[in-house]
Amino acid sequence: YSIPPTMAQLVGPLRKELADSLSSCRVLVVGAGGIGCELLKNLVLAGFKNIEVIDLDTIDVSNLNRQFLFQKKHVGKSKAQVAKESVLRFCPSANITAYHDSIMNPDYNVEFFRNFQLVMNALDNRAARNHVNRMCLAADIPLIESGTAGYLGQVTVIKKGQTECYECQPKPTQKTFPGCTIRNTPSEPIHCIVWAKYLFNQLFGEEDADQEVSPDTADPEAAWNPADAAARATASDQDGDIKRVSTKEWARSTGYDPVKLFNKLFKDDIMYLLTMDKLWKKRKAPLPLDWTEIQQIEDMLIVETLRSQLIEKGEGAELVWDKDDPPAMDFVTAAANLRMNVFSMNMKSRFDVKSMAGNIIPAIATTNAVIAGLIVLEALKILNSDFDQCRTVNLRCYSFDTLKPELHHVLSYLTYLCICFSHLV
Amino acid sequence: MIDTIEKEDNIISEEEAAQYDRQIRLWGLDAQKRLRGSRVLLVGLRGLGAEVAKNLILAGVKGLTLLDHEQVTEESRRAQFLIPVDADGQNQAQASLERAQLLNPMVEVKADTDAVESKPDDFFFQFDAVCLTRCSKDLMVRVDQLCASRNIKVFCGDVYGYHGYMFSDLGQEHHYVEEKPKVVKGSNEANDGPEAKKPKVDPNETTMVKKTISFSSLKEALEVDWTNEKAKSSLKRTPTDYFLLQVLLKFRTDKGRDPQPDSFAEDSQLLLQIRDDVLETMGLSSELLPNTFVSYCFSEMAPVCAVVGGVLGQEIVKALSQRDAPHRNFFFFDGLKGSGVVDYFGSK
Repeated sequence: YSIPPTMAQLVGPLRKELADSLSSCRVLVVGAGGIGCELLKNLVLAGFKNIEVIDLDTIDVSNLNRQFLFQKKHVGKSKAQVAKESVLRFCPSANITAYHDSIMNPDYNVEFFRNFQLVMNALDNRAARNHVNRMCLAADIPLIESGTAGYLGQVTVIKKGQTECYECQPKPTQKTFPGCTIRNTPSEPIHCIVWAKYLFNQLFGEEDADQEVSPDTADPEAAWNPADAAARATASDQDGDIKRVSTKEWARSTGYDPVKLFNKLFKDDIMYLLTMDKLWKKRKAPLPLDWTEIQQIEDMLIVETLRSQLIEKGEGAELVWDKDDPPAMDFVTAAANLRMNVFSMNMKSRFDVKSMAGNIIPAIATTNAVIAGLIVLEALKILNSDFDQCRTVNLRCYSFDTLKPELHHVLSYLTYLCICFSHLV
Repeated sequence: MIDTIEKEDNIISEEEAAQYDRQIRLWGLDAQKRLRGSRVLLVGLRGLGAEVAKNLILAGVKGLTLLDHEQVTEESRRAQFLIPVDADGQNQAQASLERAQLLNPMVEVKADTDAVESKPDDFFFQFDAVCLTRCSKDLMVRVDQLCASRNIKVFCGDVYGYHGYMFSDLGQEHHYVEEKPKVVKGSNEANDGPEAKKPKVDPNETTMVKKTISFSSLKEALEVDWTNEKAKSSLKRTPTDYFLLQVLLKFRTDKGRDPQPDSFAEDSQLLLQIRDDVLETMGLSSELLPNTFVSYCFSEMAPVCAVVGGVLGQEIVKALSQRDAPHRNFFFFDGLKGSGVVDYFGSK
């Protein structure tokens, strides 16, 4: 039997030339989280020797089910830094540089990116992905883009002049709800949760005109005729109702009295909504709550805690809602559930509310492991200059689809070039 | 107010709730509880074994026993991230133990240095699932047969260079649940047109549907008769990795080891000879597996271990938690093409 001579020399599973080029090339990993940890491990085990990794985040206990380079004792520390230290323990000869920083920091300019033969994203947000996409186009460096959520994942190779870039295809924007749905006619738990988050900001945080919680008198659905709607809108502006005094000022004037807050939000405002009778012609009408019947001691404590937090911060201070801050999370859970109760919806557990309010994406180790494995296999093809072998791989419901990348559209490419230049100026 | 997932029975500790939060939000508390009650045996601690170990320990099984009688060498450490660099000469399972345990202190991780062939039948009966890597075909068939009668889930897997596979036998009757969107009967909205008659799918509410599925034994899966007309007609759709697996298992039986980079010349000749013999015995042409295959089945590619270990790990999690449809019954991965395929071989 004759064997091709180039295969005669192996370094482990790889032919020698490939193994040599792996150990000399320099790569950048953007992100040291779920995908990042798995990716760093695969890269060093595959034979990559010069790796730089950047991540602005610190380690949280909820990361430990999948970000295996971290242990409980590392909670609070820099992800990039600890990832580097953990990798060096099983591969001391690897040359790793860690940055506890944001990739969008202007220090990481086109010259910085040009240091690398390959960039791999391990990110969880679109802004950073857009940014790295443009930097790689500007520096003309191949980029491997990837993402995971639950059981699903994707890997894509982006190379200027050969494939479409990350921003070529429009991406779906985050779902938003109409103001009157949130303020007047919620029909799903998510509407009540969004309302509760708005309420938090109105009472304790930065007030936003787009985050009103009181009944919307200008709701077009409420009017029996268009003239009526206009009249209602003008009337509400003129009669000096709650909207003209900021919600926070009003709450402060009552001393954040939980009973007064409760009565306004879940009794008085609901009774006002009931007067907009057209809304309830085909919908189940909301039922106002009576404080004396409910008597939630816990709710009083929550409001009290938030009030003291605000006082601690001083005059003109604002709290920022954070799903991992227990009183803030408790407040949204309570307020959302009370509103669900008013609108006859099945209430949700704190666990479920946290998922929706906190936009939590479920995540497991195995999906990240598979995707990170696929990333390195694509990296090997790039280093072999096998661009025509590169694939977009979709991990969708336990099967693999592979699609060849599309040729880049010249026009959109020029547009992005301009964007890159304007970004750098 | 504490972060209550279930109020009754103290079912899950705060530490577990905090650490497993992101996966409980995916597969639910019931599945996590079942994992937490499961004991798994993992045989073989090379690259693939290390990946499976990591995935199962992170998932939160009750106990994981790492079984391997071989010693650490430079070659065996190639795709293995649990073994310290100065551990050459030590037992592979023993050397992997410390870092495996650190992945998740809530799991009982043990090392066993015996050869799996030396274990009596009842050794396997203490486990809920058994995962065999780097084992001979005869051993795998034996373990599969004795576990089937006890409803112990059996998994096999290997990585050969750029190629990898996993096999599962979840028994004659594997019960599981699938989460599906709830179908809600349309309400009586007066002015809704024809749409009111269609049952509406409520995206927010889901329901658990119970299912049962049966699996073939490994013996039957590997002894498919390719000489009959039906099998011949399905040949075009059959992944060639299935035949590659047969060749590599035969090599392992004949040589007592897998193809080694430092015996490349000799081993590649033997692989081609075995390919001819195996395919001839099956009544098939050697052209089914072109010569080039020998270049890509030596040692273990770390990224291929990651992919196969990820899929295999998730299949074990699914089987133990009895949630979501399992792959039935082979998964083949070709690292050169980046393609993975699930296919069924064995009794109908």
